[in-house]
Amino acid sequence: MKSSTKKLLTILLALAMVFSMAACGGGSSSEEESTEGGGAGDGTSITLFNSKNEIQENLEDLAKVYEEQTGVHVEVYYSQDTVSAHLATKYASKAPYTLNMVDAKDIYSLGKQYGADMTGSKWVDDTDYAISVDDKVLGFPTCIEARGILYNTAAIKKALGEDFDPASVKTLDDFKAMCDKLVAAGMEAPTAVLKPDWSLAAHYLQQVYEEREDPEAFVQDLYAGKVDLMKDEKFNALMDTFDALKEYNMFKSAPLSAEDELVHQAMSEGQDAFQFGGCWEWNDLQTYDYNGPVGIMPVPQNLKDDYTGKLVGGGSKYFYVDGSEYTSEADQEAAKAFLDWLATSDEGKEFVSGTCGMVSPFKSNTVECTNDIGKVVKEYVDAGNLVPNYDYDPDDHYSKLGIEMQKYLADQCTREELAKAIQDYWANVTPVEH
Amino acid sequence: MPPPTGGISEQLPVSYLQGDNMKRNTLSYKVRQYLMFGGVGTFLFAAVVIVPFIYGIYLTFTSWDGVSPEKPFVGLANYAAAFGDHEYWLAMGRTVIYSVFSVVLINILAFVLAYLVTSGVKGQNFFRAGFFVPNLIGGIVLGYVWKFVFNRAFVAIGTAITGHPTNSLLATPSGAMFCLIFASVWQYAGYMMLIYVAGFMSVSDSLKEAAMIDGCTPSQAMRNVTIPLMRSSFVQCIFLSITRCFVIYDVNLSLTKGEPFGQSVMAAMHVYNTAFTYKNYGMGQAEALILFVVCAVVGVTQVWVGKKGEVEA
Amino acid sequence: MTQNEKAAAAKKRNHAIMIAILILLFIFFISPFILVLINVFKDKADIVTDPLALIGAHGFTLKNFPEAMQKMDFFNVFKNSLIITVCATILTILISAMTSFVIVRNGKWKMCTAVFALMVASMVIPFQVLMVPLVSVYGGIFGLLNHRATLIFMHVGFSVSMATFMFHGAIHTNIPLELEEAALIDGCTRWQTFWKIVFPLLKPTIATVAIIDAMAFWNDYLLPSLVLTDKAIYTIPIATQQFYGTYSTDIGLVMAALVLAMMPILILYLFLQKYIVAGVTSGAVKG
Repeated sequence: MKSSTKKLLTILLALAMVFSMAACGGGSSSEEESTEGGGAGDGTSITLFNSKNEIQENLEDLAKVYEEQTGVHVEVYYSQDTVSAHLATKYASKAPYTLNMVDAKDIYSLGKQYGADMTGSKWVDDTDYAISVDDKVLGFPTCIEARGILYNTAAIKKALGEDFDPASVKTLDDFKAMCDKLVAAGMEAPTAVLKPDWSLAAHYLQQVYEEREDPEAFVQDLYAGKVDLMKDEKFNALMDTFDALKEYNMFKSAPLSAEDELVHQAMSEGQDAFQFGGCWEWNDLQTYDYNGPVGIMPVPQNLKDDYTGKLVGGGSKYFYVDGSEYTSEADQEAAKAFLDWLATSDEGKEFVSGTCGMVSPFKSNTVECTNDIGKVVKEYVDAGNLVPNYDYDPDDHYSKLGIEMQKYLADQCTREELAKAIQDYWANVTPVEH
Repeated sequence: MPPPTGGISEQLPVSYLQGDNMKRNTLSYKVRQYLMFGGVGTFLFAAVVIVPFIYGIYLTFTSWDGVSPEKPFVGLANYAAAFGDHEYWLAMGRTVIYSVFSVVLINILAFVLAYLVTSGVKGQNFFRAGFFVPNLIGGIVLGYVWKFVFNRAFVAIGTAITGHPTNSLLATPSGAMFCLIFASVWQYAGYMMLIYVAGFMSVSDSLKEAAMIDGCTPSQAMRNVTIPLMRSSFVQCIFLSITRCFVIYDVNLSLTKGEPFGQSVMAAMHVYNTAFTYKNYGMGQAEALILFVVCAVVGVTQVWVGKKGEVEA
Repeated sequence: MTQNEKAAAAKKRNHAIMIAILILLFIFFISPFILVLINVFKDKADIVTDPLALIGAHGFTLKNFPEAMQKMDFFNVFKNSLIITVCATILTILISAMTSFVIVRNGKWKMCTAVFALMVASMVIPFQVLMVPLVSVYGGIFGLLNHRATLIFMHVGFSVSMATFMFHGAIHTNIPLELEEAALIDGCTRWQTFWKIVFPLLKPTIATVAIIDAMAFWNDYLLPSLVLTDKAIYTIPIATQQFYGTYSTDIGLVMAALVLAMMPILILYLFLQKYIVAGVTSGAVKG
């Protein structure tokens, strides 16, 4: 027994040594490889952090095309960790990405601290959606995303036997009449409601702030505790519509058990007709037996104002170039050049609108959007019918008020209680400076 | 590696153990002896755990947001905020409830499993492997798999019975708590079973047989011989399950994500959200430190009590 | 029926009951795993539509495997995971066994007590707490990230406390002092005594620690994702992350990656079984 153990031990030790040498060697050799890889052209190699998981592979392919053309190597990364946590660790290790894709609101914090000024870049004049802070252009918009009611034309046509004209559903009354018609025609439940906090709070509730003359003033009033939501027309109009969505919800008896996949599948395959959502859901819809086309229309409300007939949305998924001391001037320039190329080259345009089916924020991009929802959004954008996003919510807004919206969705609170919870939240939160 | 001292064989064995020899009592001997065996381990442990931990404590005195280059010093403000954070203490309370149930159930089930698979049943290796399988699935995926079962399979059955979509267990606060406990017990029972199996294996059969010959029934032998000798296994398993449960995060995230209504947010998830989602790193770190202290007090007390009565071979 | 026959019959009955209980528990324990196995052969739409169906409406498919393998760069990440897991596990076992030996056998030294208490206490630190400070120190100050060796040493550093804790219990209760004394009298040094006498007797615990740590290293996502940034040295869990997302999760690929990833650990476990079963001390001490 002793000798066998000894033998085992020797083998284990030898293995450990071989492997750790392999590990050390491997680590450094692969590093050389990566620099060599970049060295094919002018030796530049930059990193790109992508937070839009669904385009990861397409981005990697695009990076290859870019390297062939310019010799600049772009390494594309994605992380399943929270974006802010992931970027925090990158900055802590003093090795940030050269290009960072973040949400619009992060440009005002992260971008403001670390972003390089892109004023004068070729693409800036070609878009209305660049983000500037203190007269510096810091945020490059990847796409335009808009929110509204998704509708499945095939499902409606199948139920009613006639083509659906979204323009015919402008008010809540129209919408209810339509739903009743669908129910009468045999569609069990014409709507479904996504339950995640980001959908309910950051997308739906958010419209209460956005669809008004001066959203900033309204939010300041909320901070100051001067708003009585129950007396607010917009809030009531939107919540009335939300009640209708709840009423006809196919998951009405168990709204919080409706998994996202089920809701997406329902829309994709035409089990229901209407859902609140946006153009990013295209990727999900496509993974099922898609039976469309699915389009998007403004949230119908019994309130006629300047926002009737408009979708809410704007630039989304912004890139900022790291301008901190950890990224060399040359790399920063290379990153800016990549963004220029993404916005102005034929390959870049094709990538955004064609390959990824996103709505391009650049006027010169005339490539047709391959996304059914995006196509409709594009029409609204071109016609100037887009209500801008409000990007300055406190960081915990969507999760704290998401909880309240979920309670409302599950009939665990009344509208008065919801209004009070929203008011209390705003009155107690630290105001966001911007 | 040279032997630390000269001819040990000259010395009486008793001195080897009790260190009453002059030479063995000097500090340099002790240090050399310690470094020879424990040096590498202690160094790596200190480098990877202790150093970052101390740096982390420093960060609790700042109002750092996690990414900004500035780390403004704010003294004890984060601790004051953490103690005043109502939701944090609610999460902590939930964590305690969850941990108590989970730890008890995990250990009972693990012990029973270990007993069954060491009792000489046919195919026991096969069973052991089966009970261990849950651990092969990492925490995140495991949460998704159970979510799938609770939200889809159970709901499908419920819908078939009642005829309309039924609520999943995960849609009510107490149901979500139950699901978390259930998934944890399922995950860790097989893991703790391993340790109990090693414990059962190390209690020599001759001792059990001797007890039986002396007239003990099998259950008496279990109670009076096996269990006392397995004390260290119990201490280990209970400690490990307490610590795992107190810092539950992965399963919490993927199974309930804090839903419904934020009422299944456990302490670690709250800490993570404060630090990263709400970008209040200093406060999150302070809350994490409080969690650590609470957990350490519970865990270390348990080990201390357990070890006190440990039987030596 | 004689007394003996009765006893035998009772024993047989007990045995049958035990097997029945075991089978029930077994089914309960592996049910989610079976669910994974069923769904790995379906495409996403079918998984969502009916996760319990044996074969989806789109038929039986193997496409998840090649697709997952290709997207993950499977053979490369497998190699990385293997190197890291093997090295870290072996090092953890050797280092922790030694550390716990010196701690147990010198329980009266303050140094040992202090280190052990620190280690035990450290096991309850949530990893998220150490995450940012860790990269600040090793990335920001020393610039040591992005090497497999760094990850291996970090894995060892993080797991040494728990492994020491487990060896501590095993040495404390199950390694008889008489054996060590006898070895010393035979002229062994302490170093030799440890490797020749103590270490072999720890086999069941070694096997347990090996499987627990190997599994932890193999499945770990967070630490590797912080340390390894170069795609050439990614491990399996980092490579599978691209299958998860906020808006879209390709469950079929996740399942395939999962099955591919868990097989090696299952095999390791079955292999280590015999050491856990060995029950080493029984004959050696009192015999």
